[in-house]
Amino acid sequence: MIRFNRHWLLAAVGVVPALVFGGPAFAQGGDVTLTHYFTGEFGLKVFNEQVVKFEADTGYAIKNSPIGHEDFKTDILVRAAGDSLPDVFSYWAGARTQFVVDSGSLHPIDDMWARDGLDNVVAKSVADSATMYNGMRYLVPFNYHYAGMFYNTRVLADAGVTDLPTTWDGFLALCETLKGKGVTPIALGSKDRWPAQFWFDYLLLGTAGPDYRASLMNGSAAYDDAEVKAAMAMWKELADKGYFAPNANADSWTDASDKVARGDAAMTLMGTWITGYWNGLGLEAGKDYDFFPFPPIADGVPASVVGPVDGLVISNDGENRAGAEAFLSYMMSNADVQASWTGAYGALSANVNVDPANYNEVMQRVSAVVAAADNFAFNYDLATPPPVAEVGLSMFSRFMDDPSQVDDILAQVATDAAQAFGE
Amino acid sequence: MERENRFWQVILLALPLAIFITFVIWPLANSFYYSFTNWNGFNPDYDYVGFDNFLKIHTDQLFLNAAINTALWIVAAIVVPTACGLSLALLIDSRIPGGSVFKSIFYLPICLSAVVVGQIWVWIYQPDWGLLNTVVEAVSGEQFNYAWLAKPDSALWSVIVAWSWQQTGLSMVIFLAGLTTIPEDLVEVCEIEGARALQRIRLVVIPLLAPATVVVIALNVINSLKGFDILYTMTGGGPFNSSDTLAMHMYNESFKKYLMGYGSAISVVLFLIALIIIRLYFRQLRKVDALHG
Repeated sequence: MIRFNRHWLLAAVGVVPALVFGGPAFAQGGDVTLTHYFTGEFGLKVFNEQVVKFEADTGYAIKNSPIGHEDFKTDILVRAAGDSLPDVFSYWAGARTQFVVDSGSLHPIDDMWARDGLDNVVAKSVADSATMYNGMRYLVPFNYHYAGMFYNTRVLADAGVTDLPTTWDGFLALCETLKGKGVTPIALGSKDRWPAQFWFDYLLLGTAGPDYRASLMNGSAAYDDAEVKAAMAMWKELADKGYFAPNANADSWTDASDKVARGDAAMTLMGTWITGYWNGLGLEAGKDYDFFPFPPIADGVPASVVGPVDGLVISNDGENRAGAEAFLSYMMSNADVQASWTGAYGALSANVNVDPANYNEVMQRVSAVVAAADNFAFNYDLATPPPVAEVGLSMFSRFMDDPSQVDDILAQVATDAAQAFGE
Repeated sequence: MERENRFWQVILLALPLAIFITFVIWPLANSFYYSFTNWNGFNPDYDYVGFDNFLKIHTDQLFLNAAINTALWIVAAIVVPTACGLSLALLIDSRIPGGSVFKSIFYLPICLSAVVVGQIWVWIYQPDWGLLNTVVEAVSGEQFNYAWLAKPDSALWSVIVAWSWQQTGLSMVIFLAGLTTIPEDLVEVCEIEGARALQRIRLVVIPLLAPATVVVIALNVINSLKGFDILYTMTGGGPFNSSDTLAMHMYNESFKKYLMGYGSAISVVLFLIALIIIRLYFRQLRKVDALHG
């Protein structure tokens, strides 16, 4: 029988803190520490399968720490503040990565990119827009998404819709037809605010064009400009006509997706990750759901598509840089990994060696739409600095609560955004 | 022997003290330090900005909104669970049938974490199929899909109801303990003298419950200052900051806008408010101790 005496107690006093506070000391040698937000409905199981392939092929061991999508935004900041960033972490390309690069927390990967020939692997359009910051490369585009109008095929068929809209007027007519049949045309789940941004993005890009939108995102244009007012007026028209399901701010994006899947609403403007979510619910691409691109609005405006790029980056604090570079290169270059991951995750691959036949029929057409677009734009909260994005995201949910206040909302946001750009 | 005891006292106190310094004192000191900087959380380089962050608080409308909400939150957290807890305690103390069962049921929510309570109430408030709207529809016979947590006028109050539901059990148990200290013969004398039930409660029971009331109020105030998790779970401070409290505003500024320096300044203000409240509490506690011994 073990007797606990003061020696045991002293040992416990010494060992327990060592275990609690000395954890990171064990993550050395061939280990690569990794934190990412590919969890839950965002494909944790499939991501882990790709990690296992990497470990088997390279001999490195991954210390994997997945964190929920929203919590990740806080966690990575806390870890940066404590100088304890992992070797590798996932991050959103665009303004958020720019923010981290400007803070000096990321390691440039130009040498790895050249050594491993990633110019011949990554689609040039994505490489140009997502990987370069301050003249250097910092991110590999692990996958990217596209936001489009995803709909329930049965609901549209039951409403007698045979032609999908290719113009703004056609889109309004579709909404009117659906409403006339007693169907809620559009589900929007803006409880977490970001799902509403795609409406603002497409309406602004479709009316004012990508150059003006870029000006608004970098602070050289204002939220009370005529261009923004015109885009918001079109959004308001949709709301005033009752095309959106009520209580958008009470629903998450999955709630809105469920409404469309159940047939309680006809369509939702969402990123391609919705296909992964619906596939997981047992819906069949092309049979149960399909998509059409957000219709063009004004003549002479370049056709834009909107979406995020999920990247992998290497931290400056990392202890295993060789392993981190090996991981990024492998996950980007390996066509099998890219095909498995994007197929299950409902994403598109920036790897030019991935056969489009790997995608389901809906994603194949999505891929074609993206390829044919004049411009790929990051969605709102990845296109403008985080403090400004917070102002804008709140604007969208405030607008969805009471669209009649649009003029007051824009005036307030113009002031708040100008202040946020100054911080 | 005494030396050896002293040795063990030091050893056994050293570990909790080290943990307290690491996880409470050190972060607190850091908050004070960073509140005078423009640190963004990522960048190791930042500037000393003096009192700029504290001056910004004066012009920050969202801070004002959060301060008002915090005041409402604290007042409601005092009044509602205290009043409900007292009412339930008096009811159960009157030896109603099944009183001990009711006591257990009402106490149960305090055993749940605030996140679980928040999620339960998110479902209750769900506009399309939540319990509350379903009951309203059944009673009124009309469709009712009000989004309690998604409307700026009702979001904060809806969370306060959920919070009070959880906290009432704790207040009730403390009041029940206080009621056992009131001499039964005193109440009987009042009854014989012709005092009605409400008079007995108002003139005898409530004054004699003063020590318990101070504890209940103090606990409710202190718990309400920590009431971040249930707000985060239920509304996240939304919609559009309408249910922000100072703790939530501090979180948003620090972790969503990456303004760690400004967020630290807000946390310093919140700390000072908590300090004032706790000081008032101890002063009141001393008064009650002096009065009741």
